[in-house]
Amino acid sequence: MRPLRDAQLGAFTFFASALPHDVCGSNGLPLTPNSIKILGRFQILKTFTHPRLCQYVDISRGKHERLVVVAEHYESSLSDFQRQGKTASPEMVLKVAYEVLEGLEFMNKHGMVHRALAPNNVLMDHKGNLKLAKFGLYYMTDRGGDVDFPIGYPSYLAPEVIAQGSFHASDPSNEEAPLPSGPKSDIWSLGVLLFEMCAGRRLLHNIEISERLKFILTLGCMDDIVTVLAEEHGCLDTIKDLPVNVLELLRKCLIFLPSKRPTPAELLGDEVFNEISCLYMPFQKPLSLFSSSLRCAHLELPEDISDLCKEDYLSERAIDEVYYLWCLAGGDLEKELTNQGIIQSKPPLCTLPKFLLEDGESFGQGRDRSFLLDDTTVTLSLCQLRNRLKDVGGEAYYPLLEEEQSSLPQSASSQDLSTTVTLPLIIRERDTEYQLTRIVLFHRLLQAYPYKRDLVWKDARVDIPPLVRGMAWAALLGIEGDIQAKYEGIDKDTPIPTDRQIEVDIPRCHQYDELLSSPQGHVKFRRVLKAWVVSHPDLVYWQGLDSLCAPFLYLNFNNEALAYACMSAFIPKYLYNFFLKDNSHVIQEYLTVFSQMIAFHDPELSNHLNQIGFIPDLYAIPWFLTMFTHVFPLHKIFHLWDTLLLGNSSFPFCIGVAILQQLRDRLLANGFNECILLFSDLPEIDIERCVHESIKLFSWTPKSATYRQHAQPPKTTAVTDGNGFGRPGTYYFSDYQDMPRTDLSREPLALSELKAELSPRISAEDLIDLCELSLAGGGKRTRAGRPKIVAVDVRSAEDFNRGHLSGSVNLPYSSAFGPDGELVQCPGTGVLHSFRGRVIVVISHFASHLVKVNFPRVCMLDGGIIKMRSTGLLTVPSPQI
Amino acid sequence: MKKNKAKASGAVERDLVFGFKAGQHQCELKVPLQFPVKDNVSDLHGRLMLLHKIPCFVEDELRSSLSSFVETNSIRDYDREAELALSRLSSGDTDINGLTNAWAKAYAETSLEHARPEEASWDEDFAEVYHELIHSPASETLLNLEHNYCLSIAELIGERDMELKQLQERQASEMTSVMQELGNTLSDQDVNTVASQHFEARQVLENRWASELKHMSEIQKKEYQEWVIKLHRDLQRASNSSKINEEIMMQPSQMEDSEAGAPLYEEQPLLEESFTIHLGAQLKTMHNLRLLRADVLDFCKHGRHGRGGAKLRRLQTALSLYSSSLCGLVLLVDNRVNSYSGIKRDFATVAVECTDFHFPRVEEQLEVVQQVALYARAQRSSKQRENPEVKRNGAEDKNKHLERNPSNIVPGEFYISRHSNLSEVHVVFHLCVDDHVRLGNITARDPAIMGLRNLLKVCCTHDITTITIPLLLAHSMSEEMTIPWCLKRAELVFKCVKGFMMEMVSWDGGISRTVQFLVPKTISDEMFYQLSNMLPQIFRVSSPLTLTSKH
Repeated sequence: MRPLRDAQLGAFTFFASALPHDVCGSNGLPLTPNSIKILGRFQILKTFTHPRLCQYVDISRGKHERLVVVAEHYESSLSDFQRQGKTASPEMVLKVAYEVLEGLEFMNKHGMVHRALAPNNVLMDHKGNLKLAKFGLYYMTDRGGDVDFPIGYPSYLAPEVIAQGSFHASDPSNEEAPLPSGPKSDIWSLGVLLFEMCAGRRLLHNIEISERLKFILTLGCMDDIVTVLAEEHGCLDTIKDLPVNVLELLRKCLIFLPSKRPTPAELLGDEVFNEISCLYMPFQKPLSLFSSSLRCAHLELPEDISDLCKEDYLSERAIDEVYYLWCLAGGDLEKELTNQGIIQSKPPLCTLPKFLLEDGESFGQGRDRSFLLDDTTVTLSLCQLRNRLKDVGGEAYYPLLEEEQSSLPQSASSQDLSTTVTLPLIIRERDTEYQLTRIVLFHRLLQAYPYKRDLVWKDARVDIPPLVRGMAWAALLGIEGDIQAKYEGIDKDTPIPTDRQIEVDIPRCHQYDELLSSPQGHVKFRRVLKAWVVSHPDLVYWQGLDSLCAPFLYLNFNNEALAYACMSAFIPKYLYNFFLKDNSHVIQEYLTVFSQMIAFHDPELSNHLNQIGFIPDLYAIPWFLTMFTHVFPLHKIFHLWDTLLLGNSSFPFCIGVAILQQLRDRLLANGFNECILLFSDLPEIDIERCVHESIKLFSWTPKSATYRQHAQPPKTTAVTDGNGFGRPGTYYFSDYQDMPRTDLSREPLALSELKAELSPRISAEDLIDLCELSLAGGGKRTRAGRPKIVAVDVRSAEDFNRGHLSGSVNLPYSSAFGPDGELVQCPGTGVLHSFRGRVIVVISHFASHLVKVNFPRVCMLDGGIIKMRSTGLLTVPSPQI
Repeated sequence: MKKNKAKASGAVERDLVFGFKAGQHQCELKVPLQFPVKDNVSDLHGRLMLLHKIPCFVEDELRSSLSSFVETNSIRDYDREAELALSRLSSGDTDINGLTNAWAKAYAETSLEHARPEEASWDEDFAEVYHELIHSPASETLLNLEHNYCLSIAELIGERDMELKQLQERQASEMTSVMQELGNTLSDQDVNTVASQHFEARQVLENRWASELKHMSEIQKKEYQEWVIKLHRDLQRASNSSKINEEIMMQPSQMEDSEAGAPLYEEQPLLEESFTIHLGAQLKTMHNLRLLRADVLDFCKHGRHGRGGAKLRRLQTALSLYSSSLCGLVLLVDNRVNSYSGIKRDFATVAVECTDFHFPRVEEQLEVVQQVALYARAQRSSKQRENPEVKRNGAEDKNKHLERNPSNIVPGEFYISRHSNLSEVHVVFHLCVDDHVRLGNITARDPAIMGLRNLLKVCCTHDITTITIPLLLAHSMSEEMTIPWCLKRAELVFKCVKGFMMEMVSWDGGISRTVQFLVPKTISDEMFYQLSNMLPQIFRVSSPLTLTSKH
């Protein structure tokens, strides 16, 4: 989006028309409120960036179908000019015409029509450039179908618009939707506007609306509309004196029959503009992050580099950023509008109906005047925000990325900010200064993507500012290339057998959310899902894919291609082969590993759940199949996934265990039936705690413990990727599968065998690594944040003495366990108890016994001691003398 | 490019013809396109490339010819439609006056700029003034004044009751003496005469008192409103003059010492249990539920909570009167809109115990409701005559029933009255039910339940955040209400209300609400506890916050 510069933020409000009571849609579900329809349609307008159009920033829904639209705004408009009652110079008229036409042409190219063109909607910035305001009202209200008021102003309506009739939702006799207006009706409005400028007075100002409209309709019989209008307003001389090209322009605009009237594009190329068209450069759309052409191709640095850093740093930020910060700094749209008297509400007690019929139709309720349209735009004052940010130095706005310093800029306020980092995420997301620095930082990092990919990773570990989350996720998922072209190349329209299921699922997926429940949201949902299904012929649509798509679609609502690309990158990473037609082996293995993880981290809970027969198959399939998107609301998913995307494919296990641990007390206290009930409607989960817990669990989990045979096979490029640009090759963030395979890696296990084991296995390789035994012998590399580990050898003492792993503890099975599997008090078990809490690697097959007596973090060496023999790491203790 | 077939709503199919040269071959692509084009042109382009295996070297060419084809044809369609409309007008098919008047009407009804200026409404002005005052230091005075007025009404009611009682005693003794003489000196005829005389005397007395009460409350209301307006004006004029303070203080505060001798409201063993619940699958909204055993009119009567409590209640109710968190109560009534019998009469009696300084008296409100109901009926039947094909299920026999007495209402319908003088309630929903609800087998489609749904919808649209619903759809116990009956009914109402509350989330965006389920006072303790056990099984009670030290 463009920087704010000298623009201001403006807000105006209107009501969507209320739905008729108790009518269901064709699918039997309740109808979508009109305000949500408008909200969905509005979104695309945010992407319209053009120098002649006021940038749309946001829309929000209030009570009782109220909508508030926020957009770029300027205080001065052509109506100021009109109020002065002067005639405009011919140059001015041509300039206005040309600039308005530029805006109209851009809109038409995107299939939009202004319809509400009037002097008060043509704003002027400080340099006198024109900007069209409210250009999206006609589009977002579905050509006026979703609101009660007519769109447009009576004097400026084109004759064909009048002839096609007003559509009034509350009027039951007119059931059909109004006919859409074409681009040419704006030309008429422009003609009237220009005429008024030339004549210096307003058209038919003092006549009643119906008479005014009638007059416009009768103009059809006139030969020379301009002359007739001039005569009517007593300014024939003024009009006659106009230069030929201006008069010609007026004539061309005010042609009665649409077929003879030019379109904005045609008029723009007309010779009347010959003099001034050379002054204007055609608009170049800025390139997006993911495109095939070089982003810096047209980059030009100014002569004086300091021009880039203006004094007013905030004004150089994009409009949507400023608005976001304005909201964080305590901005309240409804309050601003109420203060200006635009929102006037009556006490609800005074507007109650008197009587309601059985079908819900109400009577005896007067029409509330506060529901009338007042489309005055109110300027949102940025004082509060500027005041809040007055201490933030320039360094925060222009952080240096190349230095190895901490990611936060060093400024006067950096002290606060470094303490802010330690605050809970919820608070950080509400902190204006903090968000400002984070947004600026991420903005720059993302602009430098993929070059700065590792920095994005590093900073994403702190947190991801909500405003840039969509892009940041895309960066974390490693999206690259011309995704738009790829997406367009997928056939999303031809019917496929999955359509029916998709159609059923979408109206049930995260519908509490305004965006996703809007018809636009449904359309986009359908297209992204179909694109995925069509482009992955080996995989199928399973219910749950819709939930998985939801966060990506929400974040990239205006960029389906990116949503699709993110989803396509996410699924192989975390849900490899989950969407196979027969996915039972993948899921079964996954769930078995999950239950081993429960046993590993929380043996007591695991024992209880196993005892009552509450196995993961009963509750965890929707968790993992949708990566928790089916169980949590979007705002929680975002926080969860912010971390998930940083972890590897086994991180979800830890999330699962963390969720169980939050419900631990209730699970332990209850039997099977209560547990089923509890999970049928999952209670509130504290997501921040869940994230912290899962990180903790993750760091205690040996990598090979979550080995899965059906996980994604290693990418061939993985090795080089780890060293180069790719993700930082730290212990936690690379996948076990991505490591080069050796003899000491884990061997695939048959499912039945895997299921029989209570605790996970650990590979010899991992054990060596974690015990810091090295094949080379000496060189101990100490890495922080590794799980503490102890190896327990349960062979008999003789075997142990014949050769064992250095540092391992011998606890012969026969001496440690009693006949019923309980631990016997003996010196060996004492040692074991002292290691409680560490990862205990049992070398042999008795790990499950330890789990049964509630020993946490027990795992088993894959392949047993035999595996270790080949390594030459077994030592024989020197006989003690 | 020829027009193939025109569909009903102007949908037209046109062929795009695109020719290109591939080596020696001259190729031609012909694609039928639906107009108006709904899909994205670049998607269309992608699909054409894919389906027809168009070589990539003509990709850009195809794109531009496709978009210009779509553009020119759309413009042509717009022009055609527009000129069709214009020609209809010039040929006289469309009435130009009707058309322009419709436009003028649309503007006048929907936009502030063209709307007629609003006539000042006394109610709303007073509402604003009152709302401002009650949130100022003057609130204490206002309440005291209201209380004093209430006391004088109570005095009057006391006198009335006394006089009525005396009359009754006198009449009773007279009647006994008459009865003793029956058969001797007096005949049945005479007894009847005496009885009717008594009745008349009683009527006269009651009417006299009723009109006196009405008169008094009218005077009070007038005085009060004038005083409020004056106080507000004075407050506005002088920001900090001491005179105002005097004026505020002048009103003697009698509240403290007044009720000392008055008999306290006899305390029922009130049973009540509260729950906090979560609704929704993914995004959860929190609401409060309360199950309580009380009389429905307890929410209207003052003094249920002792003296201190009463004052607080009154303040609370007054503060929220014109706010956006109102309290509502569901009263089950029969099909006649009046206040002559049963619960309706009891309610009306309670409602006149204090003067309503803001809204018309109950009788007047009901009169208006009767008018509105008649109007609604007329409106509905005229509409049905217009579209006879639209039939609502079961509307037939209901209509027959209604033709007999159009002023009666049918089960499921309800009327709304507003009150400022009740203790905990601002809005009363009078929901019509019939004897059908006494049966054990009503379903979720029962009119009474549907009425509840509409009622909750009104709660949403008019910011009624606390609503009290009779759980068993009855105000008192009767013999058919056995334990299984009660359990079944409670389950039905709980489940339906839960469903409606979930629906409400989509209507109002999930504002937290309080729903109070009321059971009759005479229900047994055991039954009450059974019901309170049932509630958490139907609603998901939010998990208790356990405060434990971190592990």
